[in-house]
Amino acid sequence: MKTNKKMFATILTAAIASAFSYAAQAEYVAGDDVTVLQGFKAGGGSDVLAQLAQPYLTKKLGVNFVNEYIPGATGAIAWTRLARQSKKDGTIISITNTPMLMTNYIMNDAITYNIKDLTPIANVVTDPGIAVVAKDSPYNTIEDLFAAAKQKPGRVTVGNSGVGGDDYFTTLLVERASGLSFQKVPFQGDGPSATAAMGNKIDVSFNNVGTVYSQIKSGNLKALAVFSEQRVEDLPDVPTLKEKGIDVVAGSSRGYSAPAGIPEEARKQLIAAFESLKTDQAFLADAKKRALNIDIVTGDDYAKMFQDMETEFQGIWDDVSAKQ
Amino acid sequence: MDTSIVMTGLTNVFTFYNIAAILGGTLLGIFVGAMPGLSATMALALLLPLTFSMDTATGLSMLASLYVGASYGGSIAAILLRTPGTPSAAATVLDGFPMSQQGQAGKALGISLFASFIGGSISGFALLLAAPLLGSIVVEFGPIELFAIAVLGITIIGSLAQGSVVNGLFSGMIGLLVSTVGMDLTTGTPRMAFDNINLFSGISFTVALIGLFSIPQALSLVENSNAPAKVASRITDRLIPKWGELKALMPNILRSSGIGVIVGLIPGTGGDTASWFAYNEAKRFAKDKSRFGNGDPAGVAAPESANNAVVGGALIPTIALGIPGSSATAILLGALMVQGILPGPNLLIDYGDVTYTLIWAVVFANLGLLVVGLMFTKASVMVTRIPDGFIACAIIALCIIGAYAINNSLFEVGLMLGFGLFGYWLSKAGVSPAPMVIGLILGPVMENSFQQSMLIGGGEYSIFLSSPIAVVLLGIAVLSILQATPFFRWVLAPFRRRSQMA
Repeated sequence: MKTNKKMFATILTAAIASAFSYAAQAEYVAGDDVTVLQGFKAGGGSDVLAQLAQPYLTKKLGVNFVNEYIPGATGAIAWTRLARQSKKDGTIISITNTPMLMTNYIMNDAITYNIKDLTPIANVVTDPGIAVVAKDSPYNTIEDLFAAAKQKPGRVTVGNSGVGGDDYFTTLLVERASGLSFQKVPFQGDGPSATAAMGNKIDVSFNNVGTVYSQIKSGNLKALAVFSEQRVEDLPDVPTLKEKGIDVVAGSSRGYSAPAGIPEEARKQLIAAFESLKTDQAFLADAKKRALNIDIVTGDDYAKMFQDMETEFQGIWDDVSAKQ
Repeated sequence: MDTSIVMTGLTNVFTFYNIAAILGGTLLGIFVGAMPGLSATMALALLLPLTFSMDTATGLSMLASLYVGASYGGSIAAILLRTPGTPSAAATVLDGFPMSQQGQAGKALGISLFASFIGGSISGFALLLAAPLLGSIVVEFGPIELFAIAVLGITIIGSLAQGSVVNGLFSGMIGLLVSTVGMDLTTGTPRMAFDNINLFSGISFTVALIGLFSIPQALSLVENSNAPAKVASRITDRLIPKWGELKALMPNILRSSGIGVIVGLIPGTGGDTASWFAYNEAKRFAKDKSRFGNGDPAGVAAPESANNAVVGGALIPTIALGIPGSSATAILLGALMVQGILPGPNLLIDYGDVTYTLIWAVVFANLGLLVVGLMFTKASVMVTRIPDGFIACAIIALCIIGAYAINNSLFEVGLMLGFGLFGYWLSKAGVSPAPMVIGLILGPVMENSFQQSMLIGGGEYSIFLSSPIAVVLLGIAVLSILQATPFFRWVLAPFRRRSQMA
């Protein structure tokens, strides 16, 4: 029962908040309530992160988190609200999903926020990219796939979760790093893209480990390569692209950001709270239970992650637009 | 087929909340059905946003049981008021009202209730058995096959329109047009969004649905609120029919249920078609036809078991293929979409647990119907006495709350009211909004799968002929268009002449 659990979590959060607001060493300077804007529907990936992280953050900061769901335009409505129409006192933060956060405004001039309008607080989870094919696919290794792409340029079909999503840009990154060209087929999300690969409707799906892990374990999909820095713990036999000489590390990440210009003290306290999650065993165990790959990057490092992604994706998108 | 997801669905339904949701939904459905002027579709559209905050299983259980409840509730008004509460109860008036005049209102309602229960349960189990059969072929459905399904679904638009085909096509075209608002899947460019960020992800189909179905009904209730109140017949006799009577009606009920399931399966036909069909068959099989129209229990049992059997039947194509056959099933499909589940053959593979929860909810909603129906049928007579003006105000208030709840934004409320006024104009012009809803749902499916197929096929149209499934489905689509044109009669003419000569 999800509702039950949520309700329980809320009650627990409230109870803990009241208990700890006296006991916490550092009372959060900005206030007792922090609003978390979410650009997606309740129950989605962002919400999973919120339900996981916020009870622990409540303990550390002595605040009550209030989730506000503002879905639409792949998060852009919520992020525009965060950047342009929110109090800059540290009481309003948002879950920021990369690379959507940047690709939204890189691809659409009508979207006016920019990462400069934000104070990056911390990345929390990263779901690495992965290339999967049907169990009876002729491609058994990533080399097989690249050889086929070399033989018939632009004919090997690669599914992604939609134009502007992480998998779409990953495909562009791989194309640029390998010099190959693929036929990119967008689907409405990771699930349909994986199903199409399973039914051999497309040659390969560029997806995320979290989405396809169970299908790989049950043998319906074969994993060719992961797009992470190191091999994924649960898939020790699957090589990384880096091992194969293609310097691409990509995935879908979720973290927290505040509007630009929040008080320095509030920023420091938020960052410290996320830093302490790194060593919080209960939190890490909870994350493992939910099959989330924790990747905590805070403060200036998270800002650099934003900056690097923006530069990288702006470059790719300019290339794509130039070709059209 | 994996039996574990079937059982997961069953256990999902069996929780305190869900059973409460089923009983509550059924009760609400009976009340809504009993009120002439309120349709099940409208009630579903209004309830949908209220289920957002619920657990998936609870929300679906409630919607499914409301649908089931309303299918029975329609007969209450038909029997007591001589006005069908829902269009599918129209046939019930013929024998139901005479029975109530003869002081047998309770008996008529009891027969209606038990016939509804049996018809609904049969269709629920038909759904349970058919879904995995269809489910086993769904991996075969890629973009090419999906495109063919969407095309076939769109050809039913003409038949969905009550009355004029041209009006139906007009309504469907508008639906397709509205569905193109938002981000283009293959290029990422926003279309017809006028740089309004609220329109980037398209027009939520629920917003359109609430506006199109609920606002016009509320307005017409206000218009007619000065009409003299109808006087309901009293229920004087007992509700539970005698075992002997029920046994005698059994062959009729079973036949009518079968008709209901099959009619429900065919997209574009629904409870109204099935109930008339079943009524006519019951009359044809009857030994003494003279009693029909003068209060024959068989004339109540047949349409009522058929219109409840439609529920399960109509859900078979909805669940297995993602083609909603009626506006009511379109909303149930919308309920799945709200939970982040895309309609289409993926339903059973990716979201088997949720889908089976819905199927089991339909089965148990019928059980709930029997219980709630026995307890509250007499109370539901009171509902018909509420002044129309009050109901209209409540509906509009619920519309606004519902539209706001979708994205927590006022933009959707304005959009909903816009659709409401447009829907009011449509209803004055005699255009049904149902094809528009189908267009809105199938438009993106058709467009996206077309684009994907073209990308996969390297821009060759022949890709659509490469899949046998797609060829068959497109063939049926062509046939269904041709049978509506003079061309078909012209082709068949020589055969007809020959058969006449022979």
